[in-house]
Amino acid sequence: MAFDRQQVEWFIYNEAQLMDEHRYDEWLALWSDDALYWVPSGRDEIDPKREISLVYDDRVRLQVRIARLKSGFAHAQEPKSRMRRVVSNIVIEETENGELLVQSNFLLAELRRGKQDIFAGRTIHRLRPYNGSFKLVSKKVLLVNNDEHIDNLTFLI
Amino acid sequence: MLSRQDIDYDALVKEDRVHLSLYTDPTIFTDEMDKIFHRGWVYVGHQGEVPNQGDFRLKRIGLQPVIMVRDQHGHVQLLLNRCRHRSATVCQQGQGNTRSFRCMYHGWTYHLDGELSGVPGEEAYGSDFNRKELSLVKVPRVANYRGFIFGSLSPAGITLEEHLGRAAAELDLFVGLSNAEDVEVTSGIHKYSYQGNWKLAAENSMDGYHPMITHASFGQALMDKIQNSPSPEQSRADRDFSTFRGAAKDFGNGHVMLDYRLRIYDSLNGDPTPAVRTITPEGQTRFDELTRRFGEQRAANMLREGGTHTFIFPNLILIGIQMRVLQPLSASHTEVCLYPTLLKWLAPEVNTIRLRSHEAFFGAASFGGPDDSEIFERVQDGCAVQLEPWQILSRGLHRERYEDGVIIGEMSDEVTQRGIWRHWKKVMTQGTATARTARKRTGNGLAGKRG
Repeated sequence: MAFDRQQVEWFIYNEAQLMDEHRYDEWLALWSDDALYWVPSGRDEIDPKREISLVYDDRVRLQVRIARLKSGFAHAQEPKSRMRRVVSNIVIEETENGELLVQSNFLLAELRRGKQDIFAGRTIHRLRPYNGSFKLVSKKVLLVNNDEHIDNLTFLI
Repeated sequence: MLSRQDIDYDALVKEDRVHLSLYTDPTIFTDEMDKIFHRGWVYVGHQGEVPNQGDFRLKRIGLQPVIMVRDQHGHVQLLLNRCRHRSATVCQQGQGNTRSFRCMYHGWTYHLDGELSGVPGEEAYGSDFNRKELSLVKVPRVANYRGFIFGSLSPAGITLEEHLGRAAAELDLFVGLSNAEDVEVTSGIHKYSYQGNWKLAAENSMDGYHPMITHASFGQALMDKIQNSPSPEQSRADRDFSTFRGAAKDFGNGHVMLDYRLRIYDSLNGDPTPAVRTITPEGQTRFDELTRRFGEQRAANMLREGGTHTFIFPNLILIGIQMRVLQPLSASHTEVCLYPTLLKWLAPEVNTIRLRSHEAFFGAASFGGPDDSEIFERVQDGCAVQLEPWQILSRGLHRERYEDGVIIGEMSDEVTQRGIWRHWKKVMTQGTATARTARKRTGNGLAGKRG
């Protein structure tokens, strides 16, 4: 199946905007039931069965993450981060089962309690064609600073 | 600003309250680095972090950079990270494996055990130049308790066993009664920092009063899970947490703990929680021993999610499956490293659930720890207030019990904070030759009052 590059880019940009604007329910609705939201810790390639990650959410934990952020008691996001990110360098690859592997770079400015931080990294999205658009099957975020002291990563990255 | 000699710690640390300057004053910070971190026993690392010859990790004792390395003879060495020539650090990476340490200023090279092995152009030195006297400086006292390696920059003092006292048994439980070499500490490190005093993290780690408020979002997620739980057993375990039964304990020497029954971090996982399975006969023996002492359910819970909840003065915290190390940088800046552990004798799926349990509550993107850090920064902000500048630590003071050398209170009592501060004051006033402190320093300030 040939893919429509513009449609893929729109999906990625839209996901970025939903994260920037804390539109949690809309963001959660992008995901498939077999979701994996993964941010490795320490370095990019780790064995999650034997090494810790910053985020390793299956569908259940993803729902808990969102419920927590919406609870009003997630103090590390009260007040919430102000965020804007740029997503670029998009490379799309079609896999054998018809899903798309989309690699992209991001640069995020995050401001909270008077302090602005810069986060950068490479994201690998796996998209499954669904109903004329896509479901987000997995997302692996390779942070430039995944081996450094990170104070607060409770927003969506 | 006060000079160090002028600080009256007796006036700043009361039994039921402590003064806010203890969290903010740079002079007091310098004094506690000197008296606590640069003299006493400090936790440095676990031998499981450097399993092979040449493995090293960069550490600090107080503010001083230290290399923890497995040397050419298989011994774990603690070497101060400074070339003896012109003082550049000789090891740069946080962790790795090497055959030697080389200073890249003038090329002085050291064996893994610190001995100076090469000096470019050595003939230019006089006949009194002696390589043997110019090894990397070793931490004067190093002691290993079941794989936990402590160092003291003071050549004399009490032994590590004397320092740990009754708290040593909690280190045993943390590793599921394992031998030192059965503990794996190669599963990565969660690193974070906060703009606040190091003692805020120490006090908070053993605070049984805060979870229902600070961690309300986690509690709410648990309650949702309970309501939707298909498993009555899991539901019961979750509720045990929500009522948070147990005791707060003060072992003395600044070591304190929250002694509670069950943990629940892994209940936020989508996969079913695996039964504990061991893969060696020795491991089965350990599991059987825990079962005999604590019952089957709690023994299994201890191995999946951690066996104790203890603070070892001044910088080691054992919670869940992690060793947490506090690194003070200034009065208002602290770095924290979390080292998750695996046990070699546990089945792989059990070790994996240990990691998933940890990630639920700990680390910069988790559902627990970041809310604590947020509170630390709010406290540090609040400590700028100079009117009525006291933290109140009197909760449960009237109902403390004293059993077999241990002070015991209800889970939410501030027994633990008082225990940390009591020892902190003792260390900070040691060697202060004023009549005032000498009069009050009878025993450990504890036995005299209650014993």
